[in-house]
Amino acid sequence: MLASVGGKQRGNAPDIAFGAFLILLAVVALWETRALAIGNAADMGPGYVPRALAWIIMGFGLAFVTSGLRATHRSLPRFDLRSFLMVLLSLAVFALLLPKGGLALATFATLACSTFAVSDYRWRESLIFSLVLTAFTVLLFVNGLGLPLAVWPRW
Amino acid sequence: MNLVENLALGFSTALSLQNLFFCFLGVIIGTLVGVLPGISPLNTTAMLLPFTFGLPPASAMIMLAGIFYGAQYGGSTTAILVNVPGETSAVVTCLDGYQMARQGRAGPALAIAAVASFFAGTVATIVIAVLSAPLAALAMKFTAPEYFSLLVMGLIAAVVLAHGSPFKAIAMVLMGILVGLVGIDVNSGKPRLTFGIPDIADGMDFVPVVVGLFGIGEVIANLGTPQDRSILAGKIKNLMPTWPDLKAAFPAMVRGTCVGTMLGILPGGGAALPPFAAYALEKKVSRHPERFGTGVIEGVASPEAANNAGAQTSFIPLLTMGIPTNPLMALMIGALMIQGIQPGPSVIREQPALYWGVVASMWIGNLMLVVINLPLVGMWASLLRVPYRLLFPAIILFCCIGAYASSNSVFSVWLMLGWGALGYFFNKIGVQPAPMVLGFVLGPLLEENFRRAMLLSGGDPAVFLQRPISATLLAVAAVLLVVLIFPAIRQKREKALQE
Repeated sequence: MLASVGGKQRGNAPDIAFGAFLILLAVVALWETRALAIGNAADMGPGYVPRALAWIIMGFGLAFVTSGLRATHRSLPRFDLRSFLMVLLSLAVFALLLPKGGLALATFATLACSTFAVSDYRWRESLIFSLVLTAFTVLLFVNGLGLPLAVWPRW
Repeated sequence: MNLVENLALGFSTALSLQNLFFCFLGVIIGTLVGVLPGISPLNTTAMLLPFTFGLPPASAMIMLAGIFYGAQYGGSTTAILVNVPGETSAVVTCLDGYQMARQGRAGPALAIAAVASFFAGTVATIVIAVLSAPLAALAMKFTAPEYFSLLVMGLIAAVVLAHGSPFKAIAMVLMGILVGLVGIDVNSGKPRLTFGIPDIADGMDFVPVVVGLFGIGEVIANLGTPQDRSILAGKIKNLMPTWPDLKAAFPAMVRGTCVGTMLGILPGGGAALPPFAAYALEKKVSRHPERFGTGVIEGVASPEAANNAGAQTSFIPLLTMGIPTNPLMALMIGALMIQGIQPGPSVIREQPALYWGVVASMWIGNLMLVVINLPLVGMWASLLRVPYRLLFPAIILFCCIGAYASSNSVFSVWLMLGWGALGYFFNKIGVQPAPMVLGFVLGPLLEENFRRAMLLSGGDPAVFLQRPISATLLAVAAVLLVVLIFPAIRQKREKALQE
C-alpha cells in the first residue's frame, strides 16, 4: 500500500508522477492543435477551447510537481509488472488474432494468455476452464446475440 | 397528463413481456456482478452496452438500469457474508452486516437489507415521478448560458463530493473534457487532437475508454492485491427478522431513504456517498452510538436504504436535463445517444412511454430483487467461492468482446489497451478516474454551449452572470468551490467521507 516513509527525504512521488503526466498531456495537446485557428472570444475557432484547456492542465501539472517536490517523502507503490504485461498482452493477442484467426482461436488464446498473469495458475483447471468458456462465448455471442464474427480461422 | 396517467403509461410499457424479461435479466446480471467483488456495475454496463444497440430504447434502458440497482443490492450480500464490499457503495454495510452474520444473524441482516432497499426504491420511484415533470419544464427554459452554468455546477459538485484530493479531481475533469474534444469540430469541420488517426475522427469511442479505465485497470490492480475471503460456513437459515429488529430498523430505513434521495439528486452524489452519510446520521441520532460496528440492525438498514434511494434518484438529473451525476449515468447517456435519443428535458415529452416505462420498471425491478433474490441467497453465496484466478480471464475476455462489438473494429481493443494501462497508472498513484469520465462525456456539450453563449453575447463573459438562472447556478458552484478551498471545512468533509 501507499505507506509514507517520512523522515528527512522529500518528494511525494505519486503527486510528482501525476503532475508530470499532466504536463506531458498538455504538451502533446498543444503540439497537436498548433495549426488550428484560435479565433477570439466572440467567434471561437476550433483551437480556442482545446488550447485554453491544455494551458490550464499545464498549470495544474506544474503545481502538482512543485508541491510534490516540497511535500514529505512518499515513494511510488510497487508496479505489478507481471500482471500488467500479461493482461495487456492478452488484449493484444485478441486484437491481433480476431480479424484472421476467428473468434474461437482469439478467445482461447486470450484466456490462455491471461491465465499467466497470476503466479498461482493451475494447468489443468485453466485449460478446461478456457475450453468451456470458449465454447460458451462462441455460442452466446455468435449464435445467441448474432455478432457478425467469423468463428474459425480463414487462411 | 397527470401523475396517475403517466405512471399508468409507464407500467403498461414496463409490464410488456419483453420489457419484463429485460428488467429481470438486468437485475440478475446486476446482482451477479454486485455479488462478485472485482467486477463493478460500471464495467459490466460498459461491456454490455454494445449488445443493447439492437434492442428498442426502452428495453435497453430498463435492462441497464436493472444492472445498476441490482448491483447495489448484490454488493451488500457480499458485504454481509464475506466482509468484502462487492461494490464501493457497500463498504458501510460491512461494518454491522458482517458482525450480524458472525453472530449467526446473517439471515435477518440480508432480509433487512432487501426490505430496506425495496422500501427506499419505492419512495425513490415516487420522488422521481413527482419531481421529473416540473424539473424538465424548468430545464426547457434553459438556453446556452444556463446549460453551460449547469454543467459547470454539476462538474464542481462532482469534484467536491468525490473521494481523494479535490485538486486532482479537477485536473481529471479537465483532462476528460480535453479527451472529449477529440474528433472533428462541428463548427469548423477541422479534426482536432486526432493525430491523423481516422478511427478517432468521429471522437474517441466511449466504450473502450471506460472499459479500459475501469475494467482492465481494475483487473490489473486486483491481481496485485491478494484477496482473502472467508465465507461463512453453513447454511443461512431463518431469514425472518424478529419484531424488535423491525422496530429498530424501520425508522433507520426512513432516515436512510431521505438522506439517499437528497444526495442522489445532487450531481456527483450517486451511489457512493449516501451510505456513508446515512451511517453517520444513524450514529448521531442513536441513543447508543457506541454499539455501532458490533452488529446493530440500524447500521444495516439505514445505509442500505440510502444506497438504493441514491442509486435511483441519481437518474433524475439524467432523465430531466441530460446531465449525468456519476460515471454510470454517463454510460446511460451513451446508451441513449447510440439509440438516437438526445438526453435532455425534451425526452419526457417526446418519448413519454420510454421515460415513464423506465421509471415504472425501477419499482418492478426492486420488487423482483426482493422476491427472487432472498430465496436465491444460497446460490449467490456459493458463487463467492469461485476464485478470482478463474474470474479475471473471463472479465478480460468480455471486455475485449465488448470493446470490439462497440464499433466492429479491433481498433477499439487497442484503444482499450491504452486506456487500461492508463487506468492502472491512475490506480497506482491514487487518482480516481471517475471525474475524468464525467468530463469526457460532458466536454463536447460544455464547449458547444460555451461557444454558443459567447457568440450570442458578442464575446462578453458577463452573459453568464446577467441571466438569473445561470447566475444562481454559478453562485452555487462558487460556494462549493469555497467549501473546497477553505481548509477547515475541507477537514470536516474528509472526516465525513471517512466515517
